[in-house]
Amino acid sequence: MMSLASYLIISLALFVIGLAVMLSRKSIVAILLGIELVLNAAALNFVAYSRYVTNNLDGHIFSLFIIVIAAAEAAVGLAIVIRFFQIKETIHIDEATQLRN
Amino acid sequence: MFMQLLFGLSALLTLSGAIAVLVTKNIMHACIFLLASLIGIAGLYATLGADFVAVTQIMVYVGGIVILMIFAVMLTGGKDFVSRAQNLLGLAPSMGNKWTYTVGLLVSLVFLLTNVKLISSIVKSHPAKTFGNEFPSTVNQLGHLLIKDHVLAFELSSVLLLGALVGAAMIARPRKQ
Repeated sequence: MMSLASYLIISLALFVIGLAVMLSRKSIVAILLGIELVLNAAALNFVAYSRYVTNNLDGHIFSLFIIVIAAAEAAVGLAIVIRFFQIKETIHIDEATQLRN
Repeated sequence: MFMQLLFGLSALLTLSGAIAVLVTKNIMHACIFLLASLIGIAGLYATLGADFVAVTQIMVYVGGIVILMIFAVMLTGGKDFVSRAQNLLGLAPSMGNKWTYTVGLLVSLVFLLTNVKLISSIVKSHPAKTFGNEFPSTVNQLGHLLIKDHVLAFELSSVLLLGALVGAAMIARPRKQ
């Protein structure tokens, strides 16, 4: 039951669901939620390979850096969302059509 | 046996939380379901023997990122809860409509089938290995790796976090029109 393949399948399902969230939602915050799911799927793959294939801890390091980058990305992304809301008074993705206000 | 139980529960929590993020209509509920999914991933890390990564996952995601998301939803929700669609799927406000769900599900399905093809070869080449229930602590080795082999990436990530902090404060500050 617990093998490399089961972790890969869970990670694949997570990635696919995150992709569907990113493509189908219209709210910018919901798209950021999908990005978090995709990043977590990638990090889970790194740790699973590090356990079952390489037997060292380099995958854990990769996973930690992915978490750091996800935190930075979420902070900047949500700042952009809040600024976008100040300008447009909505967070609908179809309203994001120009770079300057 | 304990590990099998933890693995099953974590996988169930992860996948059901992610599916609930996809199908729920309320964005605040989506944030809470993402929380469940991330806690499930932390459980999966625990079954892989990655104790430090699991704790970091809970601290950073549950304590930081999801709280930020909820703040952003609360600061920007409002007018978006007014529906602008006519058909049934688009009835919930700004949550996608029939066409976006169709395109999203089709692209995801193609990606899923492509990767199932790739994983099927990995299943044949890596038979199931069994590990005991006891894991050695990885914190000591991770600390050595971070300040010896990966010290450049470690220092660069501190610069990246500082830049993200200053950039986020710059972008989101209120300004006079």
